[in-house]
Amino acid sequence: MNKKKWLATPYIIWMAAFIIIPLILVVYYGVTTDSGSFTLENVKNIANHDNMKALLLSLKLSLISTVICLVLAYPLAMILSKMQMNSHSFIVLIFILPMWMNFLLRTLAWQTLLEKNGVINTLLGYLGIPGIDIINTPSAIILGMVYNFLPFMVLPIYNTLIKLDLNVINAARDLGANSTQTFTKIIFPLSLPGVVSGITMVFVPALTTFVISDILGGGKILLIGNIIEQDFRSSRWNVGSGLSLVLMVFILLSMAILAKYDKDSEGTNIW
Amino acid sequence: MVKKITQKLYIALMFIFLYAPIAVLIVLSFNKSKSRAKWGGFTLQWYKELFANQQIMNALYTTLVLALVSALVATIIGTAASIAMNSMRRSPRTIMMGITNIPMLNADIVTGISLMLIFVAINYTLGFTSVLIAHITFNIPYVILSVMPKLKQTNKSTYEAALDLGASHMYAFRTVILPDIFPGIMSGFLLAFTMSLDDFIITHFTKGPGVNTLSTKIYTEVRKGIKPEMYALSTLLFVSVLTLLILINRTPSEEKINKRLKKKAVQKESNSKFRIFKPAIILIVIAALIVGSFAGMKTTSGKNTLNVYNWGEYIDPEVITMFEKETGIDVVYDEFEMNEEMYSKVETGAVKYDVVCPSDYTIQRMIEADLLAELNYDNIPNIKYIGKDYLQSAEAFDPGNKYAIPYCWGTVGILYNKTMVDEPIDSWSAIFDEKYKNNILMINSVRDAMGIALKYLGYSLNSTDRDELEEATNLLKEQKPLVQSYVVDQVRDKMIGNNAAIGIIYSGEAIYTRRENPDLEYVVPKEGSNIWIDGWVIPKNSENKENAEKFINFLCRPDIALLNFDYITYSTPNTAARDLIEDEDIRNSTIAFPDSATISNCETFKYLGDAMTAYYDDKWREVLSQ
Amino acid sequence: MQCLCMGIAMNKLIDLQNITKAYGDNIVLDDLNLYIKENEFLTLLGPSGCGKTTTLRIIGGFENPDQGNVIFDGKNITKLPPNQRQLNTVFQKYALFTHMTIAENIAFGLKIKKKSKSYIDDKIKYALKLVNLDGYENRKPDSLSGGQQQRIAIARAIVNEPKVLLLDEPLGALDLKLRQDMQYELIRLKNELGITFIYVTHDQEEALTMSDTIVVMNQGYIQQIGTPEDIYNEPTNAFVADFIGESNIIAGTMIQDKLVNILGTNFECVDVGFGKNKPVDVVIRPEDIDLVAPEQGTITGRVTSLIFKGVHYEMEVMANGHEWLVHSTDLSPVGSEVGIHVDPFDIQIMNKPESDDEEAVILDE
Repeated sequence: MNKKKWLATPYIIWMAAFIIIPLILVVYYGVTTDSGSFTLENVKNIANHDNMKALLLSLKLSLISTVICLVLAYPLAMILSKMQMNSHSFIVLIFILPMWMNFLLRTLAWQTLLEKNGVINTLLGYLGIPGIDIINTPSAIILGMVYNFLPFMVLPIYNTLIKLDLNVINAARDLGANSTQTFTKIIFPLSLPGVVSGITMVFVPALTTFVISDILGGGKILLIGNIIEQDFRSSRWNVGSGLSLVLMVFILLSMAILAKYDKDSEGTNIW
Repeated sequence: MVKKITQKLYIALMFIFLYAPIAVLIVLSFNKSKSRAKWGGFTLQWYKELFANQQIMNALYTTLVLALVSALVATIIGTAASIAMNSMRRSPRTIMMGITNIPMLNADIVTGISLMLIFVAINYTLGFTSVLIAHITFNIPYVILSVMPKLKQTNKSTYEAALDLGASHMYAFRTVILPDIFPGIMSGFLLAFTMSLDDFIITHFTKGPGVNTLSTKIYTEVRKGIKPEMYALSTLLFVSVLTLLILINRTPSEEKINKRLKKKAVQKESNSKFRIFKPAIILIVIAALIVGSFAGMKTTSGKNTLNVYNWGEYIDPEVITMFEKETGIDVVYDEFEMNEEMYSKVETGAVKYDVVCPSDYTIQRMIEADLLAELNYDNIPNIKYIGKDYLQSAEAFDPGNKYAIPYCWGTVGILYNKTMVDEPIDSWSAIFDEKYKNNILMINSVRDAMGIALKYLGYSLNSTDRDELEEATNLLKEQKPLVQSYVVDQVRDKMIGNNAAIGIIYSGEAIYTRRENPDLEYVVPKEGSNIWIDGWVIPKNSENKENAEKFINFLCRPDIALLNFDYITYSTPNTAARDLIEDEDIRNSTIAFPDSATISNCETFKYLGDAMTAYYDDKWREVLSQ
Repeated sequence: MQCLCMGIAMNKLIDLQNITKAYGDNIVLDDLNLYIKENEFLTLLGPSGCGKTTTLRIIGGFENPDQGNVIFDGKNITKLPPNQRQLNTVFQKYALFTHMTIAENIAFGLKIKKKSKSYIDDKIKYALKLVNLDGYENRKPDSLSGGQQQRIAIARAIVNEPKVLLLDEPLGALDLKLRQDMQYELIRLKNELGITFIYVTHDQEEALTMSDTIVVMNQGYIQQIGTPEDIYNEPTNAFVADFIGESNIIAGTMIQDKLVNILGTNFECVDVGFGKNKPVDVVIRPEDIDLVAPEQGTITGRVTSLIFKGVHYEMEVMANGHEWLVHSTDLSPVGSEVGIHVDPFDIQIMNKPESDDEEAVILDE
């Protein structure tokens, strides 16, 4: 059996070289100046008015999108899990399929849809309904986030739901629980690992995106991702790394929460 | 019953939500107009042009090869690691799974940056390999997370039974374990493939010159307007995958229904054959796609190459082809969207470009940072076609014309929609006017935006006076509520689609937009504006300096300059080329070639030093994050 | 006939009327009629796919019949959701709530009914004592053995004081010894609680041991209803005979009343009314065959195999071209010539079904 462990060697080397060391490098850049001397200035930069504002806005928008994703995805996952689908992989594929259309193009298409004279407003116009004007606002960014990350919420929840023992649900009904009680006391608690991994899978990318805010925010709205991206774009690596360190705190936090719920620590719920 | 209908309705709504943008893109692929904002009638033209578009075919090929190789390597490493981890004790396994989760949960931007930092730290030139390594890195976790659950389900004693029956470890693995976990491996592979295909951010940070995936190609095009061929390609990709999925999923489902009729209990077993059948189809299709795109692309294997780094959409692709044919030099072409982005790439030396096209003040900055090589004019005889005036203007940032040859020039001005404003606009005051609230497209570029504010206030757009800058910043802050969005090149599509009344635009774009929408008018405000020149320079670390000079010389040829002018519609400093323009209106257009009064009223940007540049950045960020 | 007489003495608690259920084209239950009396231990017995579990799930409310009615205590509950039925189910794989402790599992139904805390605590104690698992309140289901989990599942059901307890192959996942212990445990429980048990199993021994009434089912039809003794001793058809215990089922011809021809030899029997020269199935239990000296037997044969089974020897005897299965405490060595004798009342004659449909109609009455 010992032989098997050697199989992990390439992986361990790879992960060390391309995950651990690069992260250490980010930390290094984050706490040094251009000339290489130690400083906390880069990290402190987050307290700078504009950066703080961007961070808080990112937190706000990503939290809202996460909640919306959850509210939309849970019923969807429930309905799908109840369908007599002959192939679960088919459901998964339906959600992965859009990814074959490039992510940037999909987001751009939303611009075309939401634009002042865009598709949606033109359609509403024909129907005599007043148009919506959310392009270039935080609402459009939230919409973009929800759109792009919804599959990452649906799939983990769907996967935990289809694994639920139907008899456990029946047992709850049998013991007198009505549908609401069965849901709140049995189904939801049992699907919690899926919910938690869904939340992380939506929250983290939403928190750190810069493309969605770029395309749908009309450049008016700076998220923390935009700021970091700009720093690196204009060669301010130390500052960018310092801000990345702050982001990593949030990421570590969500990883810790995930680990708490996913006791098997196998992350099986993600897909 | 009502419940069922509500459920169906809900699912339908969600799918409309998920697939609406895709429908939009498919429709756009048949749109005759190049603009996203306008329906110009049905056409199949883009599908035809797609296969002739070398850049897109190259990007497609790179994307597919990248996805396939990274998914394959990740599948092998990941599967091996899963098997090893499965036989580990709890605590080392937990640690390994924790590390596995990092790239999954970490922000893409941090992963991308950290990988870029490591490549730069070990002085590894960014290129295809660096992107490949990055993709493998973020793909492995997907494989592990797909294989691990299957491994846990397999019965350990079957493996031992195989050993007991005399099988070797390898044989037992192949015949007993592998078939069990194969679906997991396969879905891991497919997931990795898809993730690689869809990735933008990590590729963005780790790619080198000439390496473009579809994602990065699109991102550079976002600013300039997406080429319709891209929609066509995406549609083709999407439709082929969709057809594939339908084909795969139809066959086993019928099979299963029959089985259910017979006996429920046996249902699960007999899928394995389809499971192996499915991936086979998928692999064949992927291979076919790669071969197909390979046929459409050209290889750049020879040593006689030239690394060109230019603004997006800033050259007629035909020109590159002609250059390659005439000289036998292979051009590796790469695009940027911002001077600052280009500067940092050249400065780090992570990528060795041979010829670059920065703007005036950035040329000055590069000269000051000693990043440029002096031009050898013996190799650029065609310099004689460039107007003397322009060479003189260029001396403002390049004294003695030692480093740069002007390529394009123009002004920054206001583009407005005649039907949406009350009176002709001739002043910057319009973009600060309350009555155009939400109808103004402001430029999203530090120097341009600050410059406009400074000019409006009557200061120099190269001001370093903190009070003046503070005043300009405040003005821009006040303007923010009026602004519909901050854009650079997207202003074209938005103005064409009547989505705003006023936009800030470069004069070169004005000609194109007016062609698409005759209601539009361009003006250089009376307060004066920026006049800019983009020029070709050769970085010091260029490895093909002579080729670079050949390239510059080629671009200075009047017929070539004309070709470029027709394509990109930016004013050319090539007076010989201007004389060749057939359309009199354009030859005498005040947009393309403003009169000397306008020109003298305008200023060029100067590089203001690192500290001042950072100060400008901070001020602009203050405005945007308001 | 028999059932009707008993029905007068005891109340019909559950009455299934003309129940039909199909999944797609697959008919699982076809016009099933059955009633269950108060305080009865009734077992639905049959091979997998016979419709027994579906019947149970229809009673429990987890499936709706396509046709027919479920009457419970005089009320039609066909459309009533499971949470409003006065019965509880013990599921095949226990279906414990893994995210709750044992106490929370047991308290689940009571909390829903908003019982007081002290009442619930008392009930938990009582139930755990009843299933011999006192002190397990704060454990999680995962830390319990299969047998223990099974008992918790029972405890969780009975604290709700249901009138009927439905048990879906509750012992299926347990090993033999544990299964036998649990069988006694269940009988004890039923007697202590004084409620009706409806029990589903495919294990005929389990059914014979525990039940008051056994309902043998196959392919969606009831084959026979009766006491364990009835079912064992007087199976109404070859299926029941074959399914319950071991038996020799041989095609024969009824020569006349009380005389049957088996494999060319006439045997005396006690059955009448089948008509003359009518093809029938003959059932003879292996323990009812006496091996005697060749000259004393009705027919003679040779012993082809011999296995010691503890209580008895199991032998196979080749006679008249048929392998006869014989259980006997006396040993006849392999190869020896033996005579076969069967007492007339040990020969069970059954109508040969001419088609599946006919079989069903006859048996369903």
